[in-house]
Amino acid sequence: MASLLFYALSAIAVLCALGVVISRNPMQSVLNLLGSFVALAAIYLLSGFQFLAAAQILVYAGAIMVLFIFVVMLLNLTDREEGQSVWMGLFNGRILGSLAVFAGLAISGLIVTTGNLAAVDGAALDAAHTGGLDNMTSLAEVLFSKYMLPFEAASLLLLATLVGVMLLAKRERSTPAPGSKDRDVKA
Amino acid sequence: MNVPTEHLLILAGLLFSLGALGFLLRSNLIVVLASIELMLNAANLTFLAGARSHSTEGALNLDGPIFALFVILVAACEAALGLALVIAFYRQKQSVDIEAAAELKG
Amino acid sequence: MQDYNLLWLMPLLPFLGSIICGALHFATLSARKKNPEIESGPGALAAPVAIAAMVGSFAVAVMAWLKLKGLDELARAAGVESSPWHWIDLGPFSIDLSMVVDPLSAVMILVITGVGALIHIYSAGYIKGDPGFAKFFAYLNLFVAMMLILVLSSNLVGLFVGWEGVGLCSYLLIGFWYDKGWPAEAGQKAFIVNRIGDACFLIGAFLLIRLFGTLDTSEIGAAVIGILDNPDQMKDLGLAALLMFGGACGKSAQFPLMVWLPDAMAGPTPVSALIHAATMVTAGVYLIARMNPVYAACPDVLFFIGCIGALTAFIGATSALRQTDIKKVLAYSTVSQLGYMFLGLSTGAWAAAVFHLVTHAFFKGLLFLGSGSVIVGMHHEQNMYKMGGLKKHMPKTFITFMVGAAALSGLPLMSGFFSKDEILFMTYSHGGGYMVLWAIGLASAALTAFYTWRMVSLTFFGEERFDVEHVKPHESPATMTVPLVILAVAAAIGGLLNLPAVLTEHPVLHSWLEPVTAVGHEVLVKLHLVHEHASHGVEWGLLALGSVIALVFSHLGFRRYLKGPEPDLSFARRAPRLTGFLGAAWRLDGLFEVFILIPVRLLSEFISAIIDKFFIDGVVNGAASIAKLVGDDTRKMTTGSVKSYAVWMGFGAAALSLLLIWI
Repeated sequence: MASLLFYALSAIAVLCALGVVISRNPMQSVLNLLGSFVALAAIYLLSGFQFLAAAQILVYAGAIMVLFIFVVMLLNLTDREEGQSVWMGLFNGRILGSLAVFAGLAISGLIVTTGNLAAVDGAALDAAHTGGLDNMTSLAEVLFSKYMLPFEAASLLLLATLVGVMLLAKRERSTPAPGSKDRDVKA
Repeated sequence: MNVPTEHLLILAGLLFSLGALGFLLRSNLIVVLASIELMLNAANLTFLAGARSHSTEGALNLDGPIFALFVILVAACEAALGLALVIAFYRQKQSVDIEAAAELKG
Repeated sequence: MQDYNLLWLMPLLPFLGSIICGALHFATLSARKKNPEIESGPGALAAPVAIAAMVGSFAVAVMAWLKLKGLDELARAAGVESSPWHWIDLGPFSIDLSMVVDPLSAVMILVITGVGALIHIYSAGYIKGDPGFAKFFAYLNLFVAMMLILVLSSNLVGLFVGWEGVGLCSYLLIGFWYDKGWPAEAGQKAFIVNRIGDACFLIGAFLLIRLFGTLDTSEIGAAVIGILDNPDQMKDLGLAALLMFGGACGKSAQFPLMVWLPDAMAGPTPVSALIHAATMVTAGVYLIARMNPVYAACPDVLFFIGCIGALTAFIGATSALRQTDIKKVLAYSTVSQLGYMFLGLSTGAWAAAVFHLVTHAFFKGLLFLGSGSVIVGMHHEQNMYKMGGLKKHMPKTFITFMVGAAALSGLPLMSGFFSKDEILFMTYSHGGGYMVLWAIGLASAALTAFYTWRMVSLTFFGEERFDVEHVKPHESPATMTVPLVILAVAAAIGGLLNLPAVLTEHPVLHSWLEPVTAVGHEVLVKLHLVHEHASHGVEWGLLALGSVIALVFSHLGFRRYLKGPEPDLSFARRAPRLTGFLGAAWRLDGLFEVFILIPVRLLSEFISAIIDKFFIDGVVNGAASIAKLVGDDTRKMTTGSVKSYAVWMGFGAAALSLLLIWI
């Protein structure tokens, strides 16, 4: 059962990826990417990496994709591009939407029917929990001990990104702000 | 899930190739960035496939998921910065076509 | 080996003097820049400084000699040494720089410092007024320092250091008036011809290292006895001896490397006196005398040396006959007398050769200084045809010059007579092939007497052939005439140093040098080469023969030229080809031109026209064009299109990952 699900989900992922590359509309492209992410998250779940599946949805699907969509909307790129001939309609939001929904339903169904995410994974990873801990706890244990330094470095990276983004996306002011010195130099 | 690891890797390979194709062939900046994200995801999948194959009964390999976590993190940063650059680029060129950035020609 | 740490003062004092004089020279230059009218500036101090250094050095030399004299025979052989400086250590082979005064070097240092001091005093008068006054003394002192290093060194390396040093100073001093053009060329010629000798010297030294593992002269001498039975090593030894003689040829102007000495007369006369008569050119003789065990073991090489020496003596004497420049006569005469010294060495008569070296330093130095006095008195006229009758204008110069000429021509009881006859006697008693050499030597002696008195006659006697109105010859100042007098006395009584065996039981110099020549004698004994000297009767006969020849030919030369140079000109008319041949020193310069200079010029033109133009320029230009082509190609990469850059990135990443997989 789980294997079948895996192949279906991988098909979805590939088709969505194809849609990313082929779509003429950037909005469509981004939404196909979203579908690919969700499919991949489901595959992670099936493999027994629960935390990572959650992180994938939260960060990728939840934050990055939102960012993409913001930018597309901001720059008003929803119009179709010119000069590319591609199958129209195949990769638009309807198919995508249904596929993504299917993926989500599949996962939820699995969780409900088996009641235990671990059991979905099959015998190889049944006893995958060391010392009774689940995936999340063991990950946390390692992250804050063995990989402490990369963790701290990552926080630094986030800070840098923050600053960089603010600097890059700042809007240039054509008129000086009220009260500033360079207002009206020539009298 | 009794899927052999090779199948996971084939999937990862397919996703990576598609991402690479999109990165090289499309001229819309947004699509290029999206392809990059696709490639990163394929890499994540590879990591996890490797962790899965190195895990035994009783000892889950944790290096894979940790690394994948960091990749997600870095991808988030990179996407944020890339999109900020797209915005700045749009301001200059009024377009998101990378063919517009040809000042280094010659 | 007695220790005598003051020995190092001997070369050090002139060396310091040289540095101080150099500083004075630069001070003079800057003073002259500020005030071009200045007479001599601080440079005038150079003469007292240099002379003081020389006198100090002479004092140390005398002290060393006295100390050596105080030792007994055995210790004297080892000599008085100064503590060595460990210079190079290569494990089994090491080179120390240490100075040793043994009987042979004692003779040399006394001559060098003594005659050198006199010449320094003379130079103070001769070089006066020249803008390079201080520079001259700097070079002269440096030369003496180097020459002392040469003779004092206990091994061939230090000797070679001094060898090269004197060659350098010779070059500097010959080209002292380089702004005239030809002295610079003469200096270069001297240096380059010397170089040929130096190359032979070095190869010979390498052979000696291979044979004996050391370059210490006393150790080599002792080790020669050990290899006398080994034919292969003896062959190597012969080759080494021959090569070192090649080096001596270069320095002592023997055939065929004698071409530089006549040209070296372009330098100031004191230079000719000191370097090219008394000291530097005798370095070759010193070298062979010091290596006497090596040469004693190679009788064939010795005979070859004798042949070259006799030939050189003859060439020098015949060439001197046709010279018109007074200094050139003396130059060829020096070449000829050096030939005599080598002839003496070749018979195994080391002491006789050294004796001639000493007397030659006296009388040739005297003659050169005298000629310098004449030249200065004649306002730098050097052509004898334009002189004549100077005896009443320059009496002191005249008398001392006559003494020197008497010694050179071998008039009886003069120093030159005894030394020359000693050599001829040794050659005669050697027998065999040496008889031919004796005949050549005797002929050269006759010619020597002839050209010497020709020179005297043309210069001092007869009618005045110069423009009496404008040229007023005058006597030289005391600073120049006093050394002349001292040297004249030495030239006259110097014969007492080594009276022949018929007159005295123990010739002074011979027995003084015995500790040094004993090793060579031992070698000769082992090789059964010791021959009996000819009897006393023969020696008296040869003394008489020598006297007669000297007197007769001196008289002939003197009389013939009393009326002027007319005999020269009539001879030139009758035998023009011979005149040209002799006048150009048997056309040796021409030989060098044909066999060496022309091929080298052709080769260099070939290289510059073809190899340089096509190959080397081709390589360099080709490299540049390759760079241009590569640049043109890679320039096409900068399209400005991001997509193409992305493709290149992809290629690069793929290549890297392939690399990582396969490594």
